[in-house]
Order: sequence, then C-alpha cells, then structure tokens
Amino acid sequence: MKRINGMLFVSIIPFFILIALFLFIPLFSMIYASFQGDGGTGFTFNQYAEIFQNFYYHQAFKNSIMISLLSSLIAMVMAIFAAYSITLFSKNIQDRILIFANLTSNFAGIPLAFAFIVLLGNSGLFTLLFRAWGWETLSSFNLYSWSGLILIYVYFQLPLAVMLLYPVYQGVQAGWKEAASLLGASSLQFWVRIGAPVMLPSVAGTFSILFANAMGAYASAYALTGSTYNLVTIRVGALTTGDIFARPELGSALAVLLGLTLIIAMFINEWLTRKVRRDLL
Amino acid sequence: MSYVTIENINKSFNDQQVLHNLNLAFEEGEFVTLLGPSGCGKSTLLRILAGLTTPEAGIIKIDGKDVTNVKPKDRKVGMVFQSYALFPNMTVEENIAFGLKMQKMNKEVIAKKVSRMIELVELKGKEKAYPRELSGGQQQRVALARSLVTEPKVLLLDEPLSALDAQIRKNLQKLLRSLQQELNMTTVLVTHDQEEAMAVSDRIYILNAGHIAQEGKPHDIYTRPANEFVARFIGNYNVLTKKQISLLIKDESQFTHDLYAVRPEAFGSEFIMDGYKISGKVQNIMPLGNITRYEIVSGGVAVTVEHLHKSYEKLQENELKTLYINKEDVIPLT
Repeated sequence: MKRINGMLFVSIIPFFILIALFLFIPLFSMIYASFQGDGGTGFTFNQYAEIFQNFYYHQAFKNSIMISLLSSLIAMVMAIFAAYSITLFSKNIQDRILIFANLTSNFAGIPLAFAFIVLLGNSGLFTLLFRAWGWETLSSFNLYSWSGLILIYVYFQLPLAVMLLYPVYQGVQAGWKEAASLLGASSLQFWVRIGAPVMLPSVAGTFSILFANAMGAYASAYALTGSTYNLVTIRVGALTTGDIFARPELGSALAVLLGLTLIIAMFINEWLTRKVRRDLL
Repeated sequence: MSYVTIENINKSFNDQQVLHNLNLAFEEGEFVTLLGPSGCGKSTLLRILAGLTTPEAGIIKIDGKDVTNVKPKDRKVGMVFQSYALFPNMTVEENIAFGLKMQKMNKEVIAKKVSRMIELVELKGKEKAYPRELSGGQQQRVALARSLVTEPKVLLLDEPLSALDAQIRKNLQKLLRSLQQELNMTTVLVTHDQEEAMAVSDRIYILNAGHIAQEGKPHDIYTRPANEFVARFIGNYNVLTKKQISLLIKDESQFTHDLYAVRPEAFGSEFIMDGYKISGKVQNIMPLGNITRYEIVSGGVAVTVEHLHKSYEKLQENELKTLYINKEDVIPLT
C-alpha cells in the first residue's frame, strides 16, 4: 500500500513542477515586480500610484470592465436560450452541437480576428455583398469600432457559455417540472420559482468565467484594433513588450490590479448568489 | 359508475407495446395498488393517469369527467414520486404551500392548511428546514404532504417508499394507510413489493408485460392466485406440474390441470381428515427468525415448507417427516 502511495506521489511531481513553473513563479515575480521602481530599482508603491493618478489607465480599466460585462451579459442571455434549445434535441444531435460549440469556443485570438476581417472588414466578403445589394445599414458596420469589438467578444464567449450552461439544464430534474405542473404551475411559473433559482449559482459561476475570459482576452482585440483601443490587457502587452518603451514593472502592477478586479468580481457574484439562494447558506 | 375509470388504454414506446388494452376501475376512497415486476407498465399507467404520458388510445375518466386530453395541472390529481422531487430551493413549509399558492389561495388559509398538514405527517419543528437537511423518510413525508394539501381527487404514488430502508418503509406504510383512511382519499399506489401491496391496499391489480394478470382483494389474490405468473410473483408459492404433484401426493387420479400452486405455510403436521398426506426427507433447513423454512423431498420432488418457529421442535436434516394439507390448498392454475 505504502509503495503504491509512493508511486502516486512520484507521478504527481511533474504536475507540481508545472504548477510552480507556470503559475506560482510568474505570479510571485509579477507581484514582486509590481512593487519595484522602473528597471527594478528597489521597493516602491510608485507604479500603483501612477496607475491610480493616470486617467489613461482608469479608462483602460473602465473599457475592459465594460466590454467584459457587456459581452458576458449578451452571451449569457443568448446561451440561456440556446442551451435550453439544445436540451430539446435528441441525444445524438445534442452531442454533435456540443462538439461544434467546443470547436468554436476554441476559435479565438488572431485567427478569429482575421476571420472577422475577411468577412466583415472594410473590404470583407459580407461588407462588399451588402454594399452590392444596397443594404447600407449593414455595409456601413465598422468592425474596428467598439461594436465590432463586442461582436468578436460575444462570438468567442457564446460557445463557452453554451458549453458551461448545457450541463446545468441537465441538473434541473424532470421530476420537479412534473411535480410543479401537477401542483398547478405553468411552465413559466416553474422556471421563475424553481428552475431559475436552482440554476442561479451555476449561471452566476458561468458569468464569472465569461467575465474573466473577456477581461483576459488580448490577441483578438489586439489583432483587430492594434493598440488604438484602450484595454488593460493591451496596455500590459504594450508596457512589457516595449511598444513605445518597456516598463514591465508598471505592466506588472496593472496585471496585479486586473487579477484583483477578477477576484472582487467573483466575490460580489458569490455574495449575490447566496442572498438569493438562502438554502445554500 | 366508478370514481376513476381507465378504458381500453394502449401505449407503445419505440414500437414496443407496453400497455395492452387495459381496463381498470377505482371506487371513491379506495386504496388500489398496481403491483408487478419492473417493466410491466405499472408506472406508465400511473403517468397516463396523471397526464404526464399520453396514451395512443383509450379514455380516462375521473369523477365522471373525461380527462384524457386535460393537462396535468387541471386534472386535480396529486402525485408522489420515488425521487421525492422536492423543490430544493424551498423550505418544507414553502414546498407544501406551493400548490395552494398556485391556486392563489388566501395567505392565512394557506398557513392554516400547511400547518395542519405538517402535523399530520409528523414534521413539526422542521417547517423551516430545506430538503437537503432532511432524511429520506422525512423528505418523502414532505412530498406526501405537498400532494395531500391541495386535496386532489386522486392521489398517485409512484413507488414512494422503495428508496427507504425497511423500518422507515414499514412506518410510512402505516402512516400512508391511516392518512388515506382519515381523508378518504382515492389512492393509487405503484409498487413491485408484494408485501407492501398486501399491507396497505383495499384492492390489487397485478400487471405482467402490459396485461392485467389478476385483480382482487389482497387476501383473495394471496390465497387464490389465478395463474402461474401470480403464484410465482406473490409469496413463495410452490408451483408444481401435474406429474410432480402426482409423485408427491402419490395419487394421479385427482389432478387434471397442468399446473398447481401450494403455499409453503399450507403444510401442517396435524392430521387432516379428507386432506392429502406427504412423507419425505427434510432438507435445507433455514431458520428465518420467526419462521423456519425447509424442503420436503418425496418421490424426487422438493417442495418448500414454512411454519412458525417453535424452539421445542428441533428439525434434523434428512429426518423423515409426514405433513398434511387441505385439498383446497392445492390450487389449480390456468
């Protein structure tokens, strides 16, 4: 027995090494660097002070939070209906749709931005088609704008939301629906009084993941708008790669604050969920 | 005319017919059990009665009204599920009040009815508890209260006790029966447990592969099984062929049917005038608490015998024993 435990321990060592190398060491070095002066010149709060005083960084946070909230919300609302619709298909078709959702949720970053540029950019396939058909409203859609960015964000958020919400519907027991209907509840009354409250923690959890997913998105936004659009991830990228000049310590401080934003968002989410679902206390 | 009638009901799943032209009738205030092995169609029939499954053909009437195409919520039937199906986000009180709230009843009336129901199912003190804080037995009592409080015309019970352990099951059977009698509630229970069916029912329908195998009062079904399926399903009947029973009793002329059933407790050691006599070797003695079970082997045929345990009566393996049985306890099967 002891020998087996020893073997298990040995087999798990690579996992711990990977966690240490790719999670803890970067995390600690990022936190450490955020308290350093430019060029690593001793302990200071200057980087944070600069972020809090500089309107440009306030705007980056505001933009990031706004686009993340909005794209998560839109994807979430669409996914609530989409995932429910999927549960109404036969098991076979459900599996195929899920494979498709899985595929599209992994289609992100630069290839996704490029695909959108090819289809909806200034000389994109659909843009030209819409123009040829005289559909002015659609052909004047600007992909490189705030709405274009939201469209791309929703595109990669939606399949993820569907995949995360689909199993939540499986958790709503058929027996509850039947019991409610025998007690005189309509389908809407069931969803309002039982279905939705039961699903709420998972929906809120999914929202947290979507929010984090959007807050951390970088490549699609960068490929689409370059560094013209002011998002936290784009600022961090610019400061660490030296778009103008490299200030990795300031970038680290921004990244730490980005992480804190996610943690705070998660706690707010958790707190709200527990307020609504008293039985989970 | 009966309170609930089920006429010519047919149902198939994936081209497999599970109910064959069934006809059943329940009287008002009657406790009827649909008894049968898994897959015999008893739960499907109950779900058809509730309106949760649609039959291909047939008519369902409750209290004289044709409800075949009426939605479950408008049928005025209550149902208790094997899985309890309690709403996890609601307290005991809220679960029980749900049906009354759906009827838009006055708050004070709801509170009064809920508290009476909580008393009836012996859950006082648990009003504010959530389902996950209750034991299986307590959860099932909440489910029962939730169905009863709306005063349905018919209460349907879909294997409500089969997930509970033996002691709790026995207590709940008693509670179920006494509540049903107190409220004079027409009740239909689905179970595969013949002991449970015998304990609570006024009448039993035995189902086999979508057909009614036998219908009758518990005592009649137990003492007069109509066919081989019922004899084997109810109790531990010895089912013997004409040849076997002739070898055992050593009298060929008496037996004209192909199959016979004999209850294991019908054998006795006391002489019975005008009865049958069996002599054979005692084998496979099994003390089962208050009952002793063994086999008597005679003429190469083994039959199971049961009698109440008596400490002064010591049985020995292979001892020769003579037993007697009433002629009417050798039941011909069709």
